[in-house]
Amino acid sequence: MLKVSNVHKKYHENEILKGVDIQVDKGDVVVILGPSGSGKTTFLRCLNFLERADQGEMDFDADHLSLHAASSREVGMVRKRTAFVFQNYNLFQNKTALENVTTGLTIGREMARAEAKEIGYRMLEKVGMAERSGYYPSQLSGGQQQRVGIARAMAVEPEVIFFDEPTSALDPELVGEVLAVIKQLAEEGKTMVIVTHEMKFAAEVATHVIFMADGRVVEQGPPKTIFLCPKEERTRTFLRRILPQVEYNI
Amino acid sequence: MELDYDFLATTFLLVLTAVPVTLKLTAVSLLFSAPFAFGIALLRRQAAGLLQRLAAAYVTFMRGTPMVLQILMIYSLLPSLLNALSQTLRLELDVFSLDPIWYAYAVFTLNTTALFSEVLRSGLGSVADGQLEAALCAGLTKPQAYIHIILPQAMTAAMPNICNLTVNLIKGTSLAFLMTVKDMTASAKVAASYGYNYIEAYMDVLAGYIIVCSIIQAIFYFAEQHVGRYRLSRGKQV
Repeated sequence: MLKVSNVHKKYHENEILKGVDIQVDKGDVVVILGPSGSGKTTFLRCLNFLERADQGEMDFDADHLSLHAASSREVGMVRKRTAFVFQNYNLFQNKTALENVTTGLTIGREMARAEAKEIGYRMLEKVGMAERSGYYPSQLSGGQQQRVGIARAMAVEPEVIFFDEPTSALDPELVGEVLAVIKQLAEEGKTMVIVTHEMKFAAEVATHVIFMADGRVVEQGPPKTIFLCPKEERTRTFLRRILPQVEYNI
Repeated sequence: MELDYDFLATTFLLVLTAVPVTLKLTAVSLLFSAPFAFGIALLRRQAAGLLQRLAAAYVTFMRGTPMVLQILMIYSLLPSLLNALSQTLRLELDVFSLDPIWYAYAVFTLNTTALFSEVLRSGLGSVADGQLEAALCAGLTKPQAYIHIILPQAMTAAMPNICNLTVNLIKGTSLAFLMTVKDMTASAKVAASYGYNYIEAYMDVLAGYIIVCSIIQAIFYFAEQHVGRYRLSRGKQV
């Protein structure tokens, strides 16, 4: 469904991405792992044109476009068919939880208010935030804000949802509620690309794991293979450091 | 020293009748300057280029020169320039019979544009970049993102400064008497000149400005509470 190849990105002279390829099929939950500075977030942002890649191709179903030279019409098309969940939520500060979810529908897609509201409530219900629909982001905890962020992403019925370290800014005791919501989406067969540091979660939800380091894909495969018998030394070092005593029963 | 209370009272009423002129000067200048100020603010937030430098130079010039001088320059230059222009173009405009309030609008608009653009620039700067990114990802276009997400937040943050700007402009319009516009200050001065009751006249003007400025500040206070309810309600349960 989504195939991206040869993504390059440089900041000044610093090469962040050195030719990254991924493929996402319908229903896939692709988890991208890797040490910080490996380019995971930049890569994800390039897919949504929040950053302009210096090079790279994208095949989104039948549409073929350049990640570097896409027209604003093509950019708009990709953004309308995808959704993004941010590390620091980025809820619209001047909108209530419900309005956060419906804005993309009423303004971005010109849907009738009543219909959008109905969808908005349903999405908030799904993430357990229906009771707080009238609250502003400043009145919600980080975990609650991120759940609204996920509801906002789902409301537009995206073909793929990108998650950029959705739990990294959360207090440890709030991580669980957000991961539970994402896990539920995975069970429903939603197509997702997730950058995360939550290894246990990754092992549970991923259908495909990509390990990135230094701007390249070092290794990829089913979670079982990557977590239990990684081939590359780089992957092994990373996993050893990040999960010294976690047991996996997959 | 004896105060002439009758004069004090009648002149106060006279000053009050000139309040609309002062408010008109202020409102028209603010409204005319707003789109230009917004344009300059947006321009100056982008990477430096020729246009950005021109905008910056304009702001520096306007902020760096006394308003009295700007008034004197425009009031002596603009009519001659307009006259020359109308003669070359054979427009047969009678420039010198133009209501001087138009010169006042011109000066205050030029001046306010520069100050307003800085207020808006800092307001826009206070909105996190992630707000625009989130709006674009939600499928909004850039103009939609600005109208529905960025500007409401920027304006809320800018409210105290816009209030400052407005109150300063109200007080600044007192210089309009230099252009023979009959605002609050001018009316009182004219009344005082007949019997040399300057002390009373100035007291009246002072009271007039305090009343007007207090009301404006109160309006802004409530407006800020209203548009900023999303952040002022912090901690409170809805």
